[in-house]
Amino acid sequence: MDSRYEVEFPVRGDDFLAAGEASNQIKETLVMLGVPSAISRRASVITYEAEMNLVIHAGGGILRAIITPERLTIVATDLGPGIPDLALAMKEGFSTASDRVREMGFGAGMGLPNIKRNADVLEIDTEVGRGTTLTATVFFGRQDAREG
Amino acid sequence: MTVSSVIEALGLTVHHEGKGNCPVSRGVVGDLLSFVMGGAPEGAVWVTLQTHVNIAAVAVLKDIPLIILASGRNPDEELLERCRLENIGLAVASASPFDVCGALHDLGLKG
Repeated sequence: MDSRYEVEFPVRGDDFLAAGEASNQIKETLVMLGVPSAISRRASVITYEAEMNLVIHAGGGILRAIITPERLTIVATDLGPGIPDLALAMKEGFSTASDRVREMGFGAGMGLPNIKRNADVLEIDTEVGRGTTLTATVFFGRQDAREG
Repeated sequence: MTVSSVIEALGLTVHHEGKGNCPVSRGVVGDLLSFVMGGAPEGAVWVTLQTHVNIAAVAVLKDIPLIILASGRNPDEELLERCRLENIGLAVASASPFDVCGALHDLGLKG
């Protein structure tokens, strides 16, 4: 592949009909670029959970994937409410999702933990009232670098 | 087993057969989308009670070839349309999720 390949998709808030489309487009891009399926599978978990967070919690945002020969970086950016207690948000089972969303099978408090499990590096920059930027990196050929 | 043979063996009501010849050897059951997203084996048959369109997105990303809606639950129209578009198998079992999983296990599928 070229040294750097980047795709970007807008994600609309509360649009459950379109939810998942950005993740699917990124998956198709990774397949097109010949990214190994083990990496692609981890990327799908990351992009899907990040996309759903944009849909459910953030009022929408931007989902980006940057692919270089060494790594895949997923960046989810929003101007939503921010995360007041990040440590709490990272705990499995904690969720602020509404009952309506939970009835659809979302809001189980597994999104961020799923992302952390599948990323080698996870950075979350968040501030209440300003928004959140989530950056998840997966290194190619460095399974031992995975956290958690 | 293939998608078609699973459908036939369980006597499912088919809404969209999808990739009938696709081999299947694993299964997953659950109604929490993140649970399936994070834990389902690739290519598994998915047994669920959820009937809305968002389960199709999970199936696409996890390469799930067949969704079985248990307990006779009918799919939303948007779900059926998406499954046709993405060529994901979608079928309904009158049996409960427990009994569907038991039948799949008897066919040799593993979790």
